[in-house]
Amino acid sequence: MRILAIFFLMGGFFFTTVAALGVIRFPDFYTRLHAAGKGDTLGIALSITGLALYHGFNLVSLKLMFIVFFIFLANPIGTHVLSGAAYKTGIRPWTGKGE
Amino acid sequence: MREKLIQYSILSSILFLFWVIFSGKLDVKHLMIGAVTALVIAWICSSFLQVSSVTTPGIPVKEYAVFNLPYLKLFPYLGWLLWELVKANVDVALLVLNPQMPISPQIFTFKKTMSNPVAHMILANSITLTPGTITVDVQEDVYTIHALTESAALSLAPLAGEGDMPARVGRLFNE
Repeated sequence: MRILAIFFLMGGFFFTTVAALGVIRFPDFYTRLHAAGKGDTLGIALSITGLALYHGFNLVSLKLMFIVFFIFLANPIGTHVLSGAAYKTGIRPWTGKGE
Repeated sequence: MREKLIQYSILSSILFLFWVIFSGKLDVKHLMIGAVTALVIAWICSSFLQVSSVTTPGIPVKEYAVFNLPYLKLFPYLGWLLWELVKANVDVALLVLNPQMPISPQIFTFKKTMSNPVAHMILANSITLTPGTITVDVQEDVYTIHALTESAALSLAPLAGEGDMPARVGRLFNE
């Protein structure tokens, strides 16, 4: 169980790091949202699931799983609201072809 | 009226369950505070418990109850979505770590006709979570999507027919 927890935590760290790297490396606002929105969701979910596994099954791990559930619901909505606001204020997406 | 009462009791029971789990105390005082809070919050939120259908010309407006979901079909869908999320993340991670970064971002729109707003909410959230696509805007039943790569855009809205994910959500709600 402890090994499984470590595996989940390492996965979480990996995806969060990749998300941070993606935010730096991608060319414009929308593509950066891709990295932040998806990488963070899975990264945080994996980390917290790892912590819950490490703790064994009790009230604390149940609460942790609720946090995961809320992140799954809330993170896409946040990403969607940000991209929608950017689109409405007229930020043009980068297409790689130049202006 | 009966439907409204059922929705109201579902919401207050969920809130009360949350209270019990998060407080972790089972004595009468805490349970009573929790029950009163749950009932009051559900009462404040009661106007959100029914949503009217997405307007399509020629079809009369219907009212949908928020908690009236196909739960049996929802769980397999969530499992599939979780697996898609993992695949999406591996894809994005490979793109980020690739020195050439082979991306071709684009914005496109597609149409998915469904009358239940909850179905639209599930579809929009699923699109944001999965391979290289973000829902930028939803107006009635037209989706504006930002895609990271050409293949991600094509998997969601192929040139002919409809994509896998909209079809799955449509089957989920029988629409």
